[in-house]
Amino acid sequence: MNNFAAAFAALPEGAQHLRKRHLDAFLRDGLPTKALEDWRYTDLSALAERPLALAGAEHPPLPTLTGAQTVAFANGRFVSGDRSLAHAAVPDLTPGAVTALNAAFATAGLELDVPAGQPRAPLHVVTWFGGGAGGMAHLRHRIRLAPGASLTLVVHELGDGAPFFCTQVFDIDLAENSRLDFYRVQQFGAGTTALTRLDARLAGDARFNGVGLYAGGALVRNDLNVALEAPGADAELHGVLAPAAGEHLDVHTRLDHRGPRGRSREGFRCIVPAKARAIFNGKVIVHPGAQKTDSEQHVDSLLLAPGAEVDAKPELEIFADDVKCAHGATCGQLDEDALYYLRTRGLDLASARNLLLRSFAQHVLDRIGFEPARKLAEGML
Amino acid sequence: MLEIKNLHATVDGKAILQGIDLSVKAGEVHAVMGPNGSGKSTLAHLLAGREGYAVTQGQVLYKGKDLLALAPEARAAEGLFLGFQYPVEIPGVSSMYLLKTAMNAQRKHRGEPEIDAMDFLAWVRDRLAKVKMDIAMLHRGVNEGFSGGEKKRNEVLQMLVLQPRLMVLDETDSGLDIDALKIVAEGINAMRSPERAILLVTHYQRLLDYVKPDQVHVLARGRIVKSGGPELARELEQKGYGWLEQAAA
Repeated sequence: MNNFAAAFAALPEGAQHLRKRHLDAFLRDGLPTKALEDWRYTDLSALAERPLALAGAEHPPLPTLTGAQTVAFANGRFVSGDRSLAHAAVPDLTPGAVTALNAAFATAGLELDVPAGQPRAPLHVVTWFGGGAGGMAHLRHRIRLAPGASLTLVVHELGDGAPFFCTQVFDIDLAENSRLDFYRVQQFGAGTTALTRLDARLAGDARFNGVGLYAGGALVRNDLNVALEAPGADAELHGVLAPAAGEHLDVHTRLDHRGPRGRSREGFRCIVPAKARAIFNGKVIVHPGAQKTDSEQHVDSLLLAPGAEVDAKPELEIFADDVKCAHGATCGQLDEDALYYLRTRGLDLASARNLLLRSFAQHVLDRIGFEPARKLAEGML
Repeated sequence: MLEIKNLHATVDGKAILQGIDLSVKAGEVHAVMGPNGSGKSTLAHLLAGREGYAVTQGQVLYKGKDLLALAPEARAAEGLFLGFQYPVEIPGVSSMYLLKTAMNAQRKHRGEPEIDAMDFLAWVRDRLAKVKMDIAMLHRGVNEGFSGGEKKRNEVLQMLVLQPRLMVLDETDSGLDIDALKIVAEGINAMRSPERAILLVTHYQRLLDYVKPDQVHVLARGRIVKSGGPELARELEQKGYGWLEQAAA
């Protein structure tokens, strides 16, 4: 862990002063280990050993998105877009090793307050990480929607092939009756180790609609935590997990139903090629008093070759008696009959396979209600 | 157009086809009839290129070339079309997309340019009317939630759109009510031409009331046990298959 302490010394002095307690908390508890149930499939031990230095400011040209306002960050720094939306404040500490590490190092990110009655264009947030072996960078974003406000956010996570380490944290508060559409296209580089975490808190009748395409990276762990704090909150969490050969992609979701009459829907689909591993863990906790909770979770996986691995695990903890909670998991291979049918119509085997894979993913991607974001996700497959 | 010579095939080591000889010339319609388990569907899928069959003897020539050496998609591009007895449902792939992808894949194989999008749409619309299908059905997943009759009409639509040379229609008449049967028969008749040939695989004679075959063959226990004109189909309708199966045993 000396590598983290040494990198911390490179932060500007003022920043160090404010972030020291976060670093101390991180160093005290260390990186999560496989002994923890939530981390049993993802091994971070190599991170404590390897050289890490805060990455430089160089970056390639970054994309924009039709119909959206782009704010871009590269290696943890604001680089373009509306500067008033990017902050440099010290974040509050939320529990957890990844958030403590992120809070110690993150000096930029989105800082967004959305009032009601002022519709704004969809926001396209580009975060790029890379540019050199052994680099690291961290971003922390805060998004608050006022009562009745709404926003479409497209988070576009990119990287390159060099070994790199990054963390990215989203801290989201949705006030009464607000709505956030959170579309995410994640395609880190083949060298990227990434730990991301999203915490969203939903007030009464607030709605969080999250749809993501997670296209991998060397080792990627995404935690998606949504708390339905008050009556009538509604959470949709959907995603496609599509790691490339040799990659490790872990998505852990946690839904805390605290208020009554909350509704949650989760649908994830995993497409796993040879030597790749996808992990989906879906925890749903219905707390005492969260009566009339209505929750469903589905995860469907396609294993494309021998040596592909998927670990799909639902975890339901229910402490209220008048609730509806369903979950289901399937795992299979491409439908041979469908492949044959397509080939008899003239498609070669590769095109037929590709068509079936796309249609499998499309079921999820069709939920992306902002067309340019949907096209962006489709283009990554 | 199609020459099947002494074809023997096994599935999982079990002999299913045991010496089929069949010759279909361009311009002809042949019916292959026979009881369940006689090998009719095996023959149809073997022609289309399904995996899992072992050809132990004989050969199949299509337009003078070794058909069995070709991948299913190459057979399709060369003009072979199999109408499925049980068309496959493919949720998430719209029929329209499949039609266009299939058509362009076949054109590419033949060295032709992709079809213009507007030309394609006009081409499909024209053929939709022939099978009395609504264009909205083409925006749904392939055969997704279709009734049995709708699936068969969709097979005929694909045939009309793709314009194959040799059509192997595997019990395309099964599960159809009389109105749907007429629509399907009209679609098949629309494809009859001096350059094309049709192999109708069927259990019943009733389709042959609407699509007049040049020849009728009876398949039993993996062999063609009797061939004749259209009158053979009527004879089968009256006498059943038993007498021919006994003769084949």
